[in-house]
Amino acid sequence: MAATIISQPFWFAGTQFGDPMTSSPLGRDSDQSERAEAFNLRLIASHTLLQVMAEEQAFYLLLSITPRRESGPARQPLNLCLVLDRSTSMQGARLQQVKEATWRLIDNLEPEDVLSLVTFSDRAEVLLPGQCDVDKAAAKARVSTLQASGGTEILQGLLAGLREIERSRLPDSVNYLALITDGHTYGDEPACLEQARQARAHQIIISPIGIGHDWNEEFLDELAALSGGTCRYVDAPHKIADAFNEAVRQLRGIIARELKITVAPTAGVRVHELFQVAPYIQRLPLVDHDTVQAWLGPLSAGQSKVLLLELRLQVTEAGQRLLADIRITGELPGQPQRQHEAKLAVSADFAAVGQSELEIPPAIVSALSRLTAYKLQEKALRDVQAGDLGAATQRLEAMATRLLSLGETELARSALLEAGQLARSGALSAEGRKKLRYGTRGLSTLLQGELQ
Amino acid sequence: MIECPVCHATHVPNTLFCSECGTYLSGEERQGTDALETQQAEPGRPDQAEAGAVARCQGRLCLRLRIGESGRLVELPLERTLHLGRLDPSQDVFPEVDLTQDAGVAKGVSRRHARISRRDEAVVIEDLDSVNGTFINGKRLAPYQPERLHNGDQLRLGSLSIAVELFSANQE
Repeated sequence: MAATIISQPFWFAGTQFGDPMTSSPLGRDSDQSERAEAFNLRLIASHTLLQVMAEEQAFYLLLSITPRRESGPARQPLNLCLVLDRSTSMQGARLQQVKEATWRLIDNLEPEDVLSLVTFSDRAEVLLPGQCDVDKAAAKARVSTLQASGGTEILQGLLAGLREIERSRLPDSVNYLALITDGHTYGDEPACLEQARQARAHQIIISPIGIGHDWNEEFLDELAALSGGTCRYVDAPHKIADAFNEAVRQLRGIIARELKITVAPTAGVRVHELFQVAPYIQRLPLVDHDTVQAWLGPLSAGQSKVLLLELRLQVTEAGQRLLADIRITGELPGQPQRQHEAKLAVSADFAAVGQSELEIPPAIVSALSRLTAYKLQEKALRDVQAGDLGAATQRLEAMATRLLSLGETELARSALLEAGQLARSGALSAEGRKKLRYGTRGLSTLLQGELQ
Repeated sequence: MIECPVCHATHVPNTLFCSECGTYLSGEERQGTDALETQQAEPGRPDQAEAGAVARCQGRLCLRLRIGESGRLVELPLERTLHLGRLDPSQDVFPEVDLTQDAGVAKGVSRRHARISRRDEAVVIEDLDSVNGTFINGKRLAPYQPERLHNGDQLRLGSLSIAVELFSANQE
């Protein structure tokens, strides 16, 4: 392997850590790591040696943020609001399963947890105002009264839910709004996204759960990404409870919050793209474009976050070059007012003659391979929207090829089915679209193991 | 700029995957195909001329491999690079032609053993620095040196024999 792996553990110890490129990880003694809540950063670069070039060239970085094994989550009260869609389309199995999932969630609350319940259709109602020490029997009885009717206006539900969370928040609570819906909202998307930005500023995570096939995945994904949440796709009503459990499990396991990456490129270097590739693939909305910033949401025990950065370099002189400074900041539970940070510097050697290294670390190839499948899916969707069905069909077939080379035969088959569907009917099926999007998004699961 | 060999989209140097069609733009491919053009076609091989003609006319050239003693048949279109080796998901190795079931381990086939691709009108095979080597009609290939593959060639990966046929999909 020609490219070296720059691997150093860093501790979230405020001012305690030194220059990552010069200090030895072993030099940090145990008393420090005991005091500091911790996770490790690990960086893999596509190249350590590049050729100088007049034109721009690509350079990839894979950055993993891994909770340290021994760092258990500190107990933090949850401030949870369920915003439940009760529009007509929820009638029947969907609403019944939402009720049952909510009952189970109520059963699993700890006394210090705060729960509020909001339902919405064309307008919103507060079913249960935010309170801790929830009277479980009474709360479940309220949930039972839910009946489906009316349209879907997500903004109404969102506003009422955010109000409840604001009202009942504590200095150290994990504020989380789960939006459960099965439909499109009309005309109020921009206002909803603005609320998500505001929520982010108030440290409220919004995580939508989309049931069935008739909802707007691009909108709900963006809503989630803006606030550091996760959008979940539930293709059958009986999986709603699992989605709730998974969300709560992750919330209880939070070991760092408000995680943010800041990338400051040096002259001649720019950030072309930034993706989260694990635990699932997500394009990260960039907060600022000069020094690139993006929110990464909370970090939970037992789950690494892996980011892939594509830099573009224009380097015309030989020698060692600093390419960018990367900073990860976050808050630790119990210390909400204190910013903790870890830094690392990325550099590479440039040679005037010869070639850039050809041997690329497998972890980078592997991550990019999956990301490529995801991006082909995004592009195919855009082709369809632009009315270019031929391009979309080709893209889906190319995606199937990439998926096959990843051993994802099931997803590859879905992609080919959609290509056929597109050729016949001129449109993708709502179900196929979601299957491909959330299927390719989840391709990164293999990657987690490779990096640990 | 570099060009994707499949869809001809252009990308900045060092790009690893074509964003338009998903093709892996691996290091060797990024160097271009100059080495091949100096090779002369062997005379007296009608099959080869036929295969070339087929590729020109139809553009749907296919590869048929008859593998080992079992004679297992694998047919694949030569529209993209085909990797031969042993599947190993833990190492992220997913060859198009997985030789595990053909006693690949016992016969010394590497996970990433060789790859077959189309270069204009020719079909080439390249040994990927395998431990036990790739042979065409008994002649061992130098690693990473693409060699032209002809209809009727006998391949050997380690000690696993594979008979090669090139044909047009539309005619069969």
